[in-house]
Amino acid sequence: MDIVYKTLGLPAELLSKVPGIGPIVKACCTSVGQKILMAITGLSLVGFLVVHLGGNFNLFAGEAAFNGYAEKLHSLGPLLAIAETKLFAIFALHLGLALSTRAMSARARKSGYEKTESKQSGFLIPNGGAANMMFITGLILGGYVVLHVLDMKINIWKFDAGESKYALVRMVLRDPLHWGVYLVALIALGIHLSHGISSAFQTLGISHPRWNKILRFLSVALAWLIAGGFMSLLVWAYAFEAR
Amino acid sequence: MSDETLNLTLRVWRQDNSDSEGEFRDYKLSGVSTHMSFLEMLDVLNEQLIEAGEMPVAFDHDCREGICGMCSLMINGQAHGPDNATTTCQLHMRRFQDGDTIVIEPWRAAAFPVLRDLVVDRSAFDRIIQSGGYVSTNTGNAPDGNAIPIPGKVQEVAMDAAACIGCGACVAACKNASAMLFVSAKVSQLAVLPQGHAERTGRVLNMVAQMDEEGFGHCTNTSECEAACPAEISVSNIARLNREYVRATLVNRD
Repeated sequence: MDIVYKTLGLPAELLSKVPGIGPIVKACCTSVGQKILMAITGLSLVGFLVVHLGGNFNLFAGEAAFNGYAEKLHSLGPLLAIAETKLFAIFALHLGLALSTRAMSARARKSGYEKTESKQSGFLIPNGGAANMMFITGLILGGYVVLHVLDMKINIWKFDAGESKYALVRMVLRDPLHWGVYLVALIALGIHLSHGISSAFQTLGISHPRWNKILRFLSVALAWLIAGGFMSLLVWAYAFEAR
Repeated sequence: MSDETLNLTLRVWRQDNSDSEGEFRDYKLSGVSTHMSFLEMLDVLNEQLIEAGEMPVAFDHDCREGICGMCSLMINGQAHGPDNATTTCQLHMRRFQDGDTIVIEPWRAAAFPVLRDLVVDRSAFDRIIQSGGYVSTNTGNAPDGNAIPIPGKVQEVAMDAAACIGCGACVAACKNASAMLFVSAKVSQLAVLPQGHAERTGRVLNMVAQMDEEGFGHCTNTSECEAACPAEISVSNIARLNREYVRATLVNRD
């Protein structure tokens, strides 16, 4: 296993020797540094989700509005390609850091306890709530993103939607299997973000007794607003007539 | 307070030394007074074991009044047992019921190897302190009480962080075996005071480097450490550690 970590860590190791940026790269590789990068990439992805959701709300306005929006996006050409590459890089970094930090904690406790019980109270979900479900929900989301790109960008299942993105979205979402998978992924998204957003603030050092409660409330609210916003599209696909 | 006695089954981790395998062994203990502390109950168990010709159970303890940080023990899956803000030595047998089975395990972390039975080597914490948890400026004679003005609220933050007794319950309770709460308390208690300012930058960088070197895990902000901490150290210290770390990385000149 150690050889795997060493190989994967090689780019960071080499970068840390470059004068000027070396110390910063080194700092990014520590347990604290990795979490800070995790928080920054995570919040960036939340930013993307908000913009993506805003764009998707064009679906409610009808076929012309949504296809117009899609065309406008694609007319950006190279700008869109750069944005997509950046987004992919952020996503890959977030995922890579998750694997790296998880490996770190696996090494930190090799033999577990016979019995463990939380001393925290007030959880809706037992055993630590969302904080203990980050990895599994993250994996679900990773798989979902791949499926989503295959569905909407490549149309791998050959839905007969012609040139209309609006029709394609509707067809994908009206497919029962897709509908179910998307719902599971969106629930995972809500859980992931309900810990992720507030956790990112704590990791970035944004913490104050006066603001912590409200910040946490707003973080969880934003998490479920985003997940709920996307879920509304699932309702839309079935309950609303095409316009 | 009732003068009840308890009959207990103790499921205790036994391990000869850091190289041996180790296993759980069950012991019956009867007539345990509810007034006993948890460690006194283990003393009684050991008397029983010695009489039976078996090796007594090794466990760490010193002051037995909750301030030294020596006692440890994972009791029924909880660091220092079921009470909040309480060390194992201050836990009393009245918290248990007659007929209970109590599972007693050592702290589990790669950085805290088991030395024998329930005793773990916590010198990793000492090495973290040695890497920066001090003030090395020459302070001369004791200064006048008000020579360095420190606002009351700032002093309270420092004192709350300084309450850490270094027992390791945070590491034991954390699913990642992370020492972030301990390190953050040791960084905070000095970072917020004027005496600690001079070495603020190097301190946090060195202490985090040593923490990683010792093989502790990372922080997922699960807050299990805060709940398990007998000294009630707040996770807001971890946020301060992160702030200090970013600041130090950017301003460091070494």
